[in-house]
Amino acid sequence: MIDIEVLSKLFNNYYYFAAIILFIIGFHTMLTHANLIKKIIGMNIMETAAFLIFVSIGYIEGGRAPILDEGFDQIYMNPLPQALILTGIVVAVSVTAYALSLIIKLYQHYGTVDADEIARIRSYKP
Amino acid sequence: MNLNYEHLPVIIVALLLLAAFLEPIVYRHKKSWAAPLVIASMAFFALSSLYLMAAVNYHGPFNYYLGGWAPPFGIELEIDYLAVFLLLTFSVIGLIAIVYGLQDLKHGLKDEVLGWYFTLYLLLMASMAGISVTNDLFNMYVFVEISAISACAIISIKESRECIEASLKYLILSTLGSGCILLATAMLYMITGHLNIGYLNDVLPRVMSHYPNNILISLGFFVVGYGVKAALFPLHVWLPDAHTAAPSPSSAVLSGLVIKVYAAAFLKVFLKAYPREIFLEIPVMEIVLFLSVLAILYGSIVAMVQEDIKKMLAYSSIAQIGYVFLGFSLMGQRAVAGGLLHIFNHAMMKSMLFLAAGIIIYSTGIRRIRDMKGLGVKLPLTMGAFTIGALSMVGIPGTNGFISKWQLALGALDLGRPIIVVVILLSSLLNCLYYMPIVINAFFGVKGEPELEIGKVPGVMLYSILFLGFGIIFFGIYPAPLLAFLQKTVTAIL
Amino acid sequence: MWEGDELLGMYWQAIIPLWVVLFPIFMTPAIFILSKRSEKLRDGLSVLTAVITFFSVASLYPFVMEGKTIEYTLFQILPELGVTVRIDILSFCLAILSSFVWMMATIYSLDYMKPEHGKNRYYPVLIFTLGATLGIFFAGDFFTLYVFFELMSLVSYVLVIHEETPTALKAGYKYLIMTIIGGLALFFAIIATFELAGSVSLSKGVLVSKPSTLAFFAFVCYLIGFGMKAGMFPLHVWLPEAHPVAPSPASALLSGIMLKTGAYGMLRVLFYVFNIEVVQSARWDLLVAVLAVITILLGSAVALTQFDLKRRLAYSSIGQMGYVLLGMILFTEQGLVGDIFHIFSHAFMKSTLFLAAGAIIWKTGLRNINDLAGIGRKMPFTMGAFTIAALAMIGIPPLNGFLSKWTLSLGALEAGLPIYVVILLISSLLNGLYYLPIIIAAFFGGEEQEHAHGEAQHVEAGINLRGEATAKMVIPMVILGLGCFFLGLFPSNIAYELSLKAAVFLFRGGM
Repeated sequence: MIDIEVLSKLFNNYYYFAAIILFIIGFHTMLTHANLIKKIIGMNIMETAAFLIFVSIGYIEGGRAPILDEGFDQIYMNPLPQALILTGIVVAVSVTAYALSLIIKLYQHYGTVDADEIARIRSYKP
Repeated sequence: MNLNYEHLPVIIVALLLLAAFLEPIVYRHKKSWAAPLVIASMAFFALSSLYLMAAVNYHGPFNYYLGGWAPPFGIELEIDYLAVFLLLTFSVIGLIAIVYGLQDLKHGLKDEVLGWYFTLYLLLMASMAGISVTNDLFNMYVFVEISAISACAIISIKESRECIEASLKYLILSTLGSGCILLATAMLYMITGHLNIGYLNDVLPRVMSHYPNNILISLGFFVVGYGVKAALFPLHVWLPDAHTAAPSPSSAVLSGLVIKVYAAAFLKVFLKAYPREIFLEIPVMEIVLFLSVLAILYGSIVAMVQEDIKKMLAYSSIAQIGYVFLGFSLMGQRAVAGGLLHIFNHAMMKSMLFLAAGIIIYSTGIRRIRDMKGLGVKLPLTMGAFTIGALSMVGIPGTNGFISKWQLALGALDLGRPIIVVVILLSSLLNCLYYMPIVINAFFGVKGEPELEIGKVPGVMLYSILFLGFGIIFFGIYPAPLLAFLQKTVTAIL
Repeated sequence: MWEGDELLGMYWQAIIPLWVVLFPIFMTPAIFILSKRSEKLRDGLSVLTAVITFFSVASLYPFVMEGKTIEYTLFQILPELGVTVRIDILSFCLAILSSFVWMMATIYSLDYMKPEHGKNRYYPVLIFTLGATLGIFFAGDFFTLYVFFELMSLVSYVLVIHEETPTALKAGYKYLIMTIIGGLALFFAIIATFELAGSVSLSKGVLVSKPSTLAFFAFVCYLIGFGMKAGMFPLHVWLPEAHPVAPSPASALLSGIMLKTGAYGMLRVLFYVFNIEVVQSARWDLLVAVLAVITILLGSAVALTQFDLKRRLAYSSIGQMGYVLLGMILFTEQGLVGDIFHIFSHAFMKSTLFLAAGAIIWKTGLRNINDLAGIGRKMPFTMGAFTIAALAMIGIPPLNGFLSKWTLSLGALEAGLPIYVVILLISSLLNGLYYLPIIIAAFFGGEEQEHAHGEAQHVEAGINLRGEATAKMVIPMVILGLGCFFLGLFPSNIAYELSLKAAVFLFRGGM
């Protein structure tokens, strides 16, 4: 049965599956919510999903950190994605911080963090 | 190779970054040194780009292993014709914009943030240089993020409501784009185990039949990611606000250079990393072509109804980036050369137009097109330069805009697509419809002295736009060396 | 062509086209700078430039009469495309005509423009346009031609809107948009030609010798581009707006010369890009013929309904350009002679008419035809010139209009298309209907009237209102008017000889 095949594929690659779901949640939150803070949260969820995918590429069931000792036949995980994602996380944190600071500024100007509300206030202006 | 120019690309990026972080310190303790520092860094950038271009043109492209680590493990920089072409474009226009900006920013920004502005500007330049030279997808992602943050910050630095809003919008959409780019990179890494563009190009043909889904997803996410960042229709929504709200020199750089760097990154990923066969199976380039045609028409039409001059220029940029993508997505020799040429030409035209608009705003405070009646009498040189830019946008022979249109149209005809030529011509007509009335109103129809309050225009601002105006004419009459260079570039890519 | 021994001997002639194009263009800034210093110097220099240009062009006469051509490339702009210079008999015809009429119009401008504003802009633009127009005629390939065509069209915008009234600006905008549309169509046509043939040069023989879809679109686009300039129906809409609002000497040039650049371009297209066989076998000539016939009848008929003098003249120009378009697709040698000769005739007639109309407006402020009764008694020379040109328009025998119509009709008969002769006759009749009443009223009608309204306008300028316009205005007018007479008197005059040679030249393949 094809369905079972698909399901088993999904089950074996559950981390990818989880990442895709997270990505969609993040994407959806980011685009549909009017609250700016929620938008930023969605943005973070989306980025986390991308990180998860990246990290899980290098993940091997039962593998360990690539520290070489006696035997060379040990299974170890690919360290490169993890190293890269550290950079990615740093970038994401700084983007988040910057976005939040912008939202604070907006709050000072408008007294709200709701994008619709802000648009409404703006449209009142001549 | 007695002079070790191989290290130059790294030195450029590192030096710009260093200067960027020195800038606030310098500004705090020795204010008068801040401006010379930024100028000196940019001048160094420009000169070394020029030197690199000469070196690459003479000795051929070369690869540089960062820290001596050879790929696939280390980060590789590829300094090919494309890279030096981009470096030179960015550095020269960037230098002119900041020379202009020194005057304009004093007027438009609060005194205490000027040092930070320089930091952001240099960061932006460093990241653009990085994107141009890197041959590593993840490295490219990092630079893309740096440029996104600094580009947003350069808008929000004015701290007015519009600026904050525009830059938040830009930031959110831009992060969305970065997320897509990262995900697409992950998809490629998953099936190939490489991030290096050269290696990807080697491995992908072998694995593409096994993992069609990954390829498809990565293509889609790359298009969305770079599309958002380069403001390809319909992902352009952030651009008009962002480019309108920014200070004029920022607008010039954002519209003239920053969206182009993403287009160039798109070119690198799609034509250098992916093998050409993929596009025969997956018509992603056709989609991009379609989007760019829509972008050209949409941008031009919406620009017609704008009242604010900077907003009009911003919408015009959406149309113009469409030309660049049009050239790339046609994937013919001449078409891609036309797209690259348009990166250069539009960088000159649009930054000149934004800077000219900046002078108008600086000296009169007028932003609305309707109020610009008789401006040509008061600001003859500025409006003269604006006229040159406008004619170039329309594509009148003798200006560089004509050359890129010619190249693109011929590229489209080479591939047997006369309808694309019609789109290009239609858009030229639309450009005429919104640029010409400004020029006409500025020069004609007002008898005697128009009643406008004109502030003094600093010489530096005027000279910088005149220099760009001269460039527009020069490359309109003598584009031969540039075209020859682009010929080499394109032959190397395709 | 450059060839061995002749190289040195031809050297100085080869320079002339370059010189006559660049000289006015380089004089433009000089005139502009001088205009800040002294009005006299500015005026003098403008006239001097036009005169020197005319005589420089004229000095090519013995050279082209030997039937020689020169073509060389100055420098490349794009690969395969450069600025190319070419002298042959056809370009000489148009160039000598343009520079002559230009000289007259510049002299005329001296007094006409005195009460106007913006003279510091007018003269440089006038001279610059001269250079650009000559550039069109001396272009050696379509690319160069296109560059100068755009340059001329755009710069002459400033002439059109010179008065800067809202009407003028509106007309100018229409003109500008149509110009750009025409330019873009040309762009497409040239790029398609380049794609099909790999070259757009005039010295490669026939560029496109097989009809194809792309070739057809290229042909249509050439027709749009050049036809727009020539006022061909349905692209004529800008013409009756733009020509009347310009200052009269500029109208004379717009109608007399710049329309001809479109006709010149079409001639080059028909004989160099495509050839007779291609156009005739694909029946593309039918398209041009239909449009030309509509243009002729529409121009003449609508002129009847116009009561603004200059508007009537502008519509008449549309009709006359129809003759020229019709003449070139007859594809007979006789028809082509008539065609090129009509370019000469119409340039002389229409510039005389516009200059005369300008003199009347300048003198009396009257633009409406109904007010012109009796004007001939006050301004005998002006109206005399007007009358000669108007009669030539109608095609009264010994005048040049007759000669061109006669030759055109012979050509039409030779081509076996007598219907065109009928059309020419109908159009002549219409011409008679709208020109004769003006003449009759001017000389025989109306009582002497005081035109207080006209006087008030010129009192400040201190111009004598009684009688004729000034000599500087009358003399160019009369010279052009007499030109209409002498160029028709003998069928062996210079213009006819040149037309004959040019037609034969084109028919032999134009190399």
